[in-house]
Amino acid sequence: MNEVAIKIDQVAKSFGREQVLQNVSLSIPVGQTLALLGRNGAGKSTTIRILLGLIPADSGTVYLGGIDPAANSTKVLSLVGYLAEDQTMYPWMTPTELCMFLAPFYPTWDMALAHDYLDRFQIPRQTKIGRLSKGQSVKLGLGLALAHRPAIVVLDDPAMGLDPIARKEFNRDLVEHLQVSGATVLYSSHLLDEVEAVADAVAILDGGRIVRTGSTESIRDEVKQILLPFDREVANLKPDGLLDIRRFDDRMAIVTDNASEYIHKLSENSVDFDVVDLRLDEIFEAFVIGRTQGWPSEPTHDSVSV
Amino acid sequence: MYIRIERGSSSPISRQIAEQIRAQCLAGILKPGRCLPSVRQLASELGVNVNTIVRVYERLAGEGLVELRHGEGTFVLPPPKASASGVELKEQREQFSREFAAIARRGLLLGLTTTELRAMLTSAASEAKSMILKQTQAE
Repeated sequence: MNEVAIKIDQVAKSFGREQVLQNVSLSIPVGQTLALLGRNGAGKSTTIRILLGLIPADSGTVYLGGIDPAANSTKVLSLVGYLAEDQTMYPWMTPTELCMFLAPFYPTWDMALAHDYLDRFQIPRQTKIGRLSKGQSVKLGLGLALAHRPAIVVLDDPAMGLDPIARKEFNRDLVEHLQVSGATVLYSSHLLDEVEAVADAVAILDGGRIVRTGSTESIRDEVKQILLPFDREVANLKPDGLLDIRRFDDRMAIVTDNASEYIHKLSENSVDFDVVDLRLDEIFEAFVIGRTQGWPSEPTHDSVSV
Repeated sequence: MYIRIERGSSSPISRQIAEQIRAQCLAGILKPGRCLPSVRQLASELGVNVNTIVRVYERLAGEGLVELRHGEGTFVLPPPKASASGVELKEQREQFSREFAAIARRGLLLGLTTTELRAMLTSAASEAKSMILKQTQAE
């Protein structure tokens, strides 16, 4: 289980003057599912494209299934099941024709499996792809990405544009067809409610940097909201993992990482506090738009250092 | 087996699933000897990560509520005696302590003082004690 299927190490990328990725590092053990979370423009798609060798990184290294995609771009694509964001497929082909068109590109293409997916996803085989619904074409894309039995699957925001029912079905397919067969999955998303059920681990990407990675459950254990009195008593108890402060009169609600350590510290200092469990979307919000200014300052010292 | 998951809840999914199976085992809805759905089956049915289900089953097995038989499946065990499973007791106490904290918070929000809360606890506890005593004597 500890073998690594995907490894991204210190990758940086700029487009012109704009730095899109800075020191991005990620690793996914074989058989695990990692969800890459981020707002639009955070760098999710760029990360994925670099991972697949579709664009070069400025610096850093990438390994995928034991090979360097930058050097073996074609090999990578035959090894990996990839569903691009807004994947465009030849609209004038039918699903059956597309299967026949794609098969020669993949040494391990399994035509029976491809048709099996078409059946299971209830995709009409003889309708032109241009006339399929958004949900149908995403599922077609997924089926085709899986028809060569890839051990590694990379999906760029697969659920975008799907209606709630199709999204749920999609998650079920992900579990049923990928996790059950032991594939390693990297997918990007910003639908946090759904990610939690499906992903083993998440990585939060913000402004081109990974701000947090961890197993879905450990992140929820370690990031908590804590209600505290807003006064000088806590001035020297600012947590190291502080992510957000909101003040409500004489109280404040903070969000902090490494919460258990901090809770212990508060108890030792006999501060009166409350702990609130957060949902994944609230945790994401704290990492991405949390504000950490405004911690109450020491009574005697100047408050500049805070 | 009926399980309902609240997505976007502040209670983690593995906890939600474990609590529901545990409750159904203890309440006798899932009878001893019954085979639970396989990990894959339950994972696909609920649309939940396979490893999450594995962890839930392992945890319940650790509590002595189910048994993982290799190659056969996961089976419900007869409900453990009150003193049997330390882990289960610990879980239930944790659950109780969460509920207790919620009650205390509600009391404070309703304007009760800590002293009043303490007085209520003392009287409720002594009442409960005498009731438990009566019950055990009747048996």
